[in-house]
Amino acid sequence: MADGSTMTGFEMAADDCAIIQFEAWDGAMAQFEAELPRILGGPLPTEVGDTARHDSWLVIRVAPRRFWLLWDGPPPIIDVDPKLGCALPLGEGRVRLRLSGRGLQYVLERCVAVDWETLAEGRALQTGLHRVPVLLLRRSALECDLLVPRSFSKSLIEWIADAAAGLNRAIYASPRTDALSSAHASQRTG
Amino acid sequence: MRRLAIGGRIDRSQQIEFTFDGRAITGFRGDTLASALLANGVRLVGRSFKYHRPRGIYSAGPEEPNALVTLGTGGRREPNRAATTVELAEGLVAESQNRWPSLNFDAQGINGLFAPFLSAGFYYKTFMGPTRRAWMFYEHFIRKAAGLGRAGEEPDPDRYDVRHLFADVAVVGSGPAGLSAALAAGGAGARVVLIEQDFAPGGSLLSDPADAESVAWLSGMFARLAEMPNVSLMTRTTAFGAYDGNVLGLVERHGSGTADPKQGQARQTLLLLRAKSIVYASGALERPLTFANNDRPGIMLASAARVYLNRFAVLAGTRVVVATDNDSAYRAAFDLAAAGAEVTIADGRAEPIHELLEQARRRGIAVRTKSRIANALGSRSVRAVTLSEPGGPATVKCDLVAVSGGWSATVHLTSHLGVKPVYREDMRTFVPGKLGAGLFVAGAVTGGFTRGGSIEEGHRAGAEASAFCGIAKSVQQPVGLELTEIDAGSHDNSLSASLRSAPLPHFVRAHDGSHTVCPEHHRPDRSEERWFANRTRAGDEKGAKFAAGKAFADLQMDVTTQDIALAHREGYESVEHLKRYTTLGMGTDQGKTSNFHALSAMAGLRSMAVPEVGTTTFRPPYTPVAIGALAGRSIGHHYKPIRRTPMHDWHVANGAEMLEGGLWMRPWFYRASGRDVNEAYVAEMRLVREAAGLMDISTLGKIDVQGSDAAEFLDRVYVNAFAKLPVGRARYGIMLRDDGVVFDDGTTSRLGERHFFMTTSTAKAADVMSRLEFLLDTAWPDLRVSVTSVTDEWAAMSVAGPNSRDILAAAFPDLDISNEALPHMGLLEEKYRDRRLRIIRLSFSGEWAYEIYVGASLGTEVWCRLMEAGAPFGLKPYGVEALGTLRIEKGHVAGPEIDGRTTLDDLGLGRMVGKRSGYVGEVLGRRAAFSDPTRPRLVGLRGVEPGRQLHAGAILFRPGEPMQGHGLGRITSATYSPTLDVWVGLGLLARESAVEGAEIVAAYPITGQTVRARVVSPIFLDPKGERLHG
Repeated sequence: MADGSTMTGFEMAADDCAIIQFEAWDGAMAQFEAELPRILGGPLPTEVGDTARHDSWLVIRVAPRRFWLLWDGPPPIIDVDPKLGCALPLGEGRVRLRLSGRGLQYVLERCVAVDWETLAEGRALQTGLHRVPVLLLRRSALECDLLVPRSFSKSLIEWIADAAAGLNRAIYASPRTDALSSAHASQRTG
Repeated sequence: MRRLAIGGRIDRSQQIEFTFDGRAITGFRGDTLASALLANGVRLVGRSFKYHRPRGIYSAGPEEPNALVTLGTGGRREPNRAATTVELAEGLVAESQNRWPSLNFDAQGINGLFAPFLSAGFYYKTFMGPTRRAWMFYEHFIRKAAGLGRAGEEPDPDRYDVRHLFADVAVVGSGPAGLSAALAAGGAGARVVLIEQDFAPGGSLLSDPADAESVAWLSGMFARLAEMPNVSLMTRTTAFGAYDGNVLGLVERHGSGTADPKQGQARQTLLLLRAKSIVYASGALERPLTFANNDRPGIMLASAARVYLNRFAVLAGTRVVVATDNDSAYRAAFDLAAAGAEVTIADGRAEPIHELLEQARRRGIAVRTKSRIANALGSRSVRAVTLSEPGGPATVKCDLVAVSGGWSATVHLTSHLGVKPVYREDMRTFVPGKLGAGLFVAGAVTGGFTRGGSIEEGHRAGAEASAFCGIAKSVQQPVGLELTEIDAGSHDNSLSASLRSAPLPHFVRAHDGSHTVCPEHHRPDRSEERWFANRTRAGDEKGAKFAAGKAFADLQMDVTTQDIALAHREGYESVEHLKRYTTLGMGTDQGKTSNFHALSAMAGLRSMAVPEVGTTTFRPPYTPVAIGALAGRSIGHHYKPIRRTPMHDWHVANGAEMLEGGLWMRPWFYRASGRDVNEAYVAEMRLVREAAGLMDISTLGKIDVQGSDAAEFLDRVYVNAFAKLPVGRARYGIMLRDDGVVFDDGTTSRLGERHFFMTTSTAKAADVMSRLEFLLDTAWPDLRVSVTSVTDEWAAMSVAGPNSRDILAAAFPDLDISNEALPHMGLLEEKYRDRRLRIIRLSFSGEWAYEIYVGASLGTEVWCRLMEAGAPFGLKPYGVEALGTLRIEKGHVAGPEIDGRTTLDDLGLGRMVGKRSGYVGEVLGRRAAFSDPTRPRLVGLRGVEPGRQLHAGAILFRPGEPMQGHGLGRITSATYSPTLDVWVGLGLLARESAVEGAEIVAAYPITGQTVRARVVSPIFLDPKGERLHG
């Protein structure tokens, strides 16, 4: 699936998203954390919300014992020892919305309760978007991915597009500068 | 009243046209609606709530009790806006309210004559009878007679938005304390959001003359803050509520009529600001004085008169009486005199400080001590006041009365989280109580009413707030607004300057330069409090007479001192009871100017101290918030998110009438099946019974259950056993709540030794998932089980009917779907285009049927494949209406029966448990009460009157019994059965009456219709299951 829309200073693209979920059993975490990196070819993220990239694979720690592996290209074949944990494909159930552009923060402020300014690049977090649970991954200064449930995806695309409706005017104005500058100016002329 | 030629903070080069009650008026950029009205000589702006008395402009801020207007027209109509907070905008349309036929002649002004009958709580006493329903009759008239503005009835065309903001430090209020706090926190490097409700920052400093020292100070502060990219200033933004987790609710107004919704511009934005730390610098509000007719137009707070003069260049009166019990009003008096007004000060105190008296004398201001207003004369405008003085009453002519009864710290926000304010006796005000970590206060809200002190406190609070966030850096404190020393012997205007720069000059410097900190006779005086209490107490004495006229404690709600006395007399002594009995403080202003006086009065009546009486509870919002702002963009199409199945577009394109179920959109019926739902569902039922139908069941909840303890886990959550379910088989299961009531049902298939695929009802999918996670996290953390919702992962469809196997075979010719390979309740796991494909043979309709699961992205493709392969076999799609009725014929329970009140035995499912134990709900499910013979039992009901409809919701009675009360039970589901050519239903009927063959009467209360039916087995069709098994 691919869909997208472009507004001044803001772009949104929707696409399928390949995901495998790994979960370690309680009590087997140490072994799991030793085994999985061997398969993935690199270390696992250490904290919830951290990510680790290994070639075209991106590993996100979504919960203390849960990891999501995202990839582009052919699906990896990964067997998890059932004594250590389990794996589950989730790619059919989620759609990736890639949001980018100078208006990104404007749009995000109207969609999710996420502090974009302090969210480091490469960090992920789970939040609510229009009351729907989503995973937000910051890719760069002006780009992020939202992994949203497929059944809600169209509704959320419409919601985000609506949030961006006022962008054309707002993106060129900084509320901070405007308010303080005008306050300063009014004092000078008052 | 007149606009001065010079001065103020208005831009005379930008004229603004607006209308008030249809009259075209001109103001200037920088005006509020109130200031523009005053500048144009408009003194009468509204009528009061109950008595319809003429009212004018009383304040210059959000505390305004009188000047409520309706703004806009059509869908943009917004009632009850305080004219004092409305920024004047081109084309603004304002209308006075609560008057008919006009503001000048209001027919309901006659209410004043009936005042003795309209005291507090009059309607509770007067409109009680003669019957219990009488109130419903009276209410219509009372609502019409009383009230505030009238909301618009057309849809609001404007757009409202919601934003999430974050900050290290939020500073509420941009007066001297707030600016100082923002500078300190911003200078330290913290991310600061400075919030100001006004359209201009500066707080109390804006009420100083435009040429005062404070203007330069403000300019300097703004310049320094503007250099800090980490500091944001939000004007026109009201912090209306404080919530858990340091969340502030803000509403930002983007200008009246200037936001174009078609351009995505919002009229207002609701902001949720999450701050690590908050500095409350919310200031203080001046209190009024209470005297007879204290509501007449032309009477306003002294601070407001000063604001109109210095900020808006409006001299609100030329003959002014300033009535006060404290020093602060002298500033207003001096400024008004300097602007050319003839000013008289009526000071209730015996000995105001000498310096003030001397300066007043130099300005030609007459100061009358021990003098207080007893009565205001005039009707639509004040024309004189009667002063009560030791030497006897005196009358002073005037066109403006500026009053000051002291100051109340604005403790609303600091109290929203349940922190009770505490009383500060020396300042006669409540101040914030002990706040939680990360919350700080500065300035007048602390009861410290000096500018120097406010700046110092603000700086300290800002530094502490940023340090709380882990950002500590020393920042130079802004230059204080030090007071020019009072030179009692000087004849220049230095005192005026000094008084201007001290918000409330309880703190002055003596002639020798030493500080004189609140000497006893300079403290806020209690005389007004005592006077008010005495007056109220006197009102409590039968037959007591005051000066003619009402003395209002709450101007907006028309609550008088006599109402308070009445409440006390009738036992409503608690301030919470007082509030509700009299409606005091319940207006849009929430009693900002009235609360303190009211509780002082009650304290006097009860012979208690003010803090003993306490305050009412402060709750958000601080000022009214438009419903539109709270709703934001969640209206109309965006009211809630919609879930679409993978085949949604196919359904729409092929004539499905869609139906909302929870958040899902589902095909209700297909228009090709019939002209309406009633015709269509019968046709679709016949289709399934006689050929085959295809149904989108993607909305079913789907949960992946994995782990070595998965079977054990299922054994515990279901009442029936799953541990021995063979791989490749499915089983119907039922879950109970802890209390033994049926929770949900569904089918779980075994994919492998450690792997199961659970389905739940559409409605309970999220609840079941949450329940399973809860049990694993809390009850059985030792189990090695992973549960994950895969509802969105799979497209699911059901092909049902006698031709279903042929259709499936045609669609997937490579699959072995013989009875042996795929028996009833069997599971096949295959691949379709290298993707997972699951086929489970099970039926909800009672027909031979298969559920087909495929990756969501292939849903439409597989659906179309089935439709194409099934066409020669008569396959057509069917909707949820037909599904719901097919299952009734088969006697399958669903949501209407599993309604959170029924047990296994009620539903006839008790046999599923057998001798099992150890499952959720077992213990409480064995309660004796669940075996009570009055418990309902699931029965079938077959209509015995041809053509007469059974209705779900109908109440069941024995024939001949009076049809009263809850009867013996109810019909839960009903349908016309094309197979039986009769109306049938499922019902829950008291066990003692649930005898097959018995006749019952179903009364449908909505239409009053009664229909006879016979009690039968709930399985109407194929009781042996031959259609399922072949």
